[in-house]
Amino acid sequence: MQEVLLSVNGSEVRAHIEPRLTLADFLRDVAGLTGTHLGCEHGVCGACTVLLDGESVRSCLLLAVQAEGREVTTIEGIAGPDGSLHPVQEAFTSHHALQCGFCTPGFIMTVLEYVNEGASPDEEEIRQRISGNLCRCTGYHNIVRAIRELAEGGS
Amino acid sequence: MTYVGTSVPRREDHRLITGRGNYVADMRLSGMAEAAILRSPIGHGTIERLDVSRARRLPGVVDVVVAGDLEGSVDPFTRPFYKRVDEKLAETTKVVMRPYRAQVLAAERVFRVGEPVAVVVAENRYIAEDALEAIEVDYEPLPVLANAEDALKDGAVQLHPEVPGNLHCSFEVHVGDVDRAFAEADHRIATRIKIGRSVGSPLETRGAVADYSEVTGELTLWATQARPHLLRTYISEMLHLPEDLVRVISHDMGGSFGGGIYNEEILIPHLAMRLRRPIRWIEDRRENLANARHSRDQIHDVELSFTSDGTITGMRDRFLCDTGAYNPFGLTLPYNTAAHLRNEFKIDNFQVEAICALTNKRDNTPVRGAGRTSATFVIDRMVDMVADFLGRDPVEIRRRNLIAASMMPYDMGMLYRDGADMVYDSGDYPAQLERVLENIGYDEFRLEQQQLRAKGRHVGIGISNHVEGSGYGPHEGAMIRVDRTGHVVVHTGANPHGQSHETVFAQVCADALGVTPDDVTVRAGDTALIGHGAGTFASRSAVTAGSAVQGAAIKVRKKLLSVAGEVLEVSTEDLTIEAGRVFPKGVPDKALTFAELAEAAAPTLRARLPAGADHGLEATFYFVPATVTFSSGTHVAIVDVDRETGQVEVLRYSVVDDCGLILNPMVVDGQQQGGVVHGIGNALLEEIVYDEQGQVLNASFMDYLLPTASDVPNIDVEHVVYLSPINPMGIKGAGEGGAVSPPAAIANAIVDALKPLSIAITEMPITPERLWRLIRRAESEPG
Repeated sequence: MQEVLLSVNGSEVRAHIEPRLTLADFLRDVAGLTGTHLGCEHGVCGACTVLLDGESVRSCLLLAVQAEGREVTTIEGIAGPDGSLHPVQEAFTSHHALQCGFCTPGFIMTVLEYVNEGASPDEEEIRQRISGNLCRCTGYHNIVRAIRELAEGGS
Repeated sequence: MTYVGTSVPRREDHRLITGRGNYVADMRLSGMAEAAILRSPIGHGTIERLDVSRARRLPGVVDVVVAGDLEGSVDPFTRPFYKRVDEKLAETTKVVMRPYRAQVLAAERVFRVGEPVAVVVAENRYIAEDALEAIEVDYEPLPVLANAEDALKDGAVQLHPEVPGNLHCSFEVHVGDVDRAFAEADHRIATRIKIGRSVGSPLETRGAVADYSEVTGELTLWATQARPHLLRTYISEMLHLPEDLVRVISHDMGGSFGGGIYNEEILIPHLAMRLRRPIRWIEDRRENLANARHSRDQIHDVELSFTSDGTITGMRDRFLCDTGAYNPFGLTLPYNTAAHLRNEFKIDNFQVEAICALTNKRDNTPVRGAGRTSATFVIDRMVDMVADFLGRDPVEIRRRNLIAASMMPYDMGMLYRDGADMVYDSGDYPAQLERVLENIGYDEFRLEQQQLRAKGRHVGIGISNHVEGSGYGPHEGAMIRVDRTGHVVVHTGANPHGQSHETVFAQVCADALGVTPDDVTVRAGDTALIGHGAGTFASRSAVTAGSAVQGAAIKVRKKLLSVAGEVLEVSTEDLTIEAGRVFPKGVPDKALTFAELAEAAAPTLRARLPAGADHGLEATFYFVPATVTFSSGTHVAIVDVDRETGQVEVLRYSVVDDCGLILNPMVVDGQQQGGVVHGIGNALLEEIVYDEQGQVLNASFMDYLLPTASDVPNIDVEHVVYLSPINPMGIKGAGEGGAVSPPAAIANAIVDALKPLSIAITEMPITPERLWRLIRRAESEPG
């Protein structure tokens, strides 16, 4: 067992854990944040995407001990303190960019990073940028529209 | 105002975009232990030795259970999911169906890779998976049936003793006089078409969390299950519990696309009873790809007869389903295929012989499209082959053979799977074709194509149309109640997994009751909510549950008016409901709120009810459809083929679809777009590959490829509306149609792109390797 201290959505989380515990399981089982989903546990589907010091990572491919001392942002941490939705969340719902919602937290975190960097309204670039996240319900059509609106609104 | 037909924003979104969904893996119960399953590593063999003693001794392991531990407590599966085959259907189509037993845990023999052999329960999943490695099993391999043709050969190894010759089921369909049609026709073409095996791949893997209360005797199971009520019946039967003490909850689900009742959904509840603590099992992706039930996998030997002007006069098909080790859905897939083979075409003479053979693979059962994707690939490829044979444009052959609007309703001359006459109830297929050709610019593309060909580009256009028998029975129900605060609750048995029921059924209810969707809460996915439920599959929920919600709401509306009539001493005909208030027409000052009426109808001595009326503002209505209703669609794909590599890019994709009355256009468009991309995956990427020993070679998302955003274009969707005459609102199903046509449309587009090279695509998926081989072969053949 090993002691770790992570910042998760601005709060300190300290725990004694097995070194083999993945960051995803840490978030879900230790921090109690089940919004980060596990779709494949081998780094392909992107459902478990979170931000680590602002960069998107697959929390199924990282160990919690690797995130020691770092800042993790999950889907639960992006709305405003008053509960107001983040613009990326707003765009997903207003464009019907989710159906079952299982892949959605991972998509939103991927898109959040992209928007923070300054997203392009170019459709091909948008599609490339989200091609590391799988969605089986939407066919991506409305996810692309949501991102394009965010990019156009921001430029 | 009315809400049906408008894009009311989704009420389920807020929890899902804030990470507060409640999927099975999110369940946390006090004292919960985790299960992991040891699965057969071989395709076929006997279990010679199974030693779990070392696993049991590992710290943190709670229990290890094998088949012997289940004896007397857990019955095997003994019936298919649909208990009965309709008697008329069985007689008319000469159905052969052989029941067998399937163990929840393999006892002496394993029939496929992935078959559950033992289950470990431990304090957490990490320990449980460690313990799997400590279980020792010796298997004695038996010969493996790697495909359906081998399974039917004389001398093939026998799988289940109840199924001689491995032929699990078969049937025949005869319409008209096929022999005469073939004898008299100008031309005949015959080919063999193979449909590859794929898997539904919802982003959420399967899971089950079970909790048993010793105090109440109630067993509660949270499961990724599209048919909670059916699962409740299975658990009740197989674990010997009264149905009322079994509660199955399927709240948020990360997709479904197919499935049925699974061993694990029996096993995990049993463990919760055995160990008296909550048990959770969450599948991993490798397990899912090999163990969630597969689909498609058919071989068709098919022939068409036609005249020189392109009129198709006859169709004959003998097809074989590689049904895997078990066939719990029985006739569903093969009969769906047979029923949809003629598609939107008028083919008067038709003959099908279907055979399901057992092999050492995962079961082949319905996944989005459910037998229709295969049927549509077969007929739409054949139609293009007729066009090529005659040197005509495929559009011309379609125009010539489509069933005309004036022929509707059109009797197909055979029975549907439910035993009813198969009748296309409404639609205008030729108009649908013209509309989609206009939307994509077919004529303009033909000109552009010539220019691109001159520059060495290989772009092509392909068409596929389809019908879909949607809204399958037997029933769906809704209970609607106005509570004491005046709020409306709807309970239904059709639980969603992305289809937006919480929004759409609130729209239906709001219109019928004269309130807004915000005044209505829709709940589903819990067997405690309503007595009977079928579930969400077979493009059925809008049709069946939508009709049930409307029916129940009409009953509640009548009750609201009758109670208001008593209170106001006014005839009910003189009352109206607007914005959640009931008042005499023209006298809104006298309005009563729903809360006031709920109070007036409550079971007290002060109740103001019409004579003989029951207390409460509540009604249950079950909609029992007479048969299915046929939605339809026409798809056009434009593709770019790299002749050197066999790589295909889908450049544009257009759909014109008829799903009858549209409840929420935003939701229906989303269903279509998602379905099409699923279909593009089936067309170009997705195939579960088994080797000769029954090993799954690609059970990871690195190897089993789902379409990504960069693999697909935008999907252009337009609707034409031909109301269904067989349900009150005129709804037809919209959930699966998108996934039915893409393989055929894309295959036809690829063949078109490579002309004048003549390639024959007779197999899906059309992987780059397969296409590369076809191109090289065609290039090496003399002119």
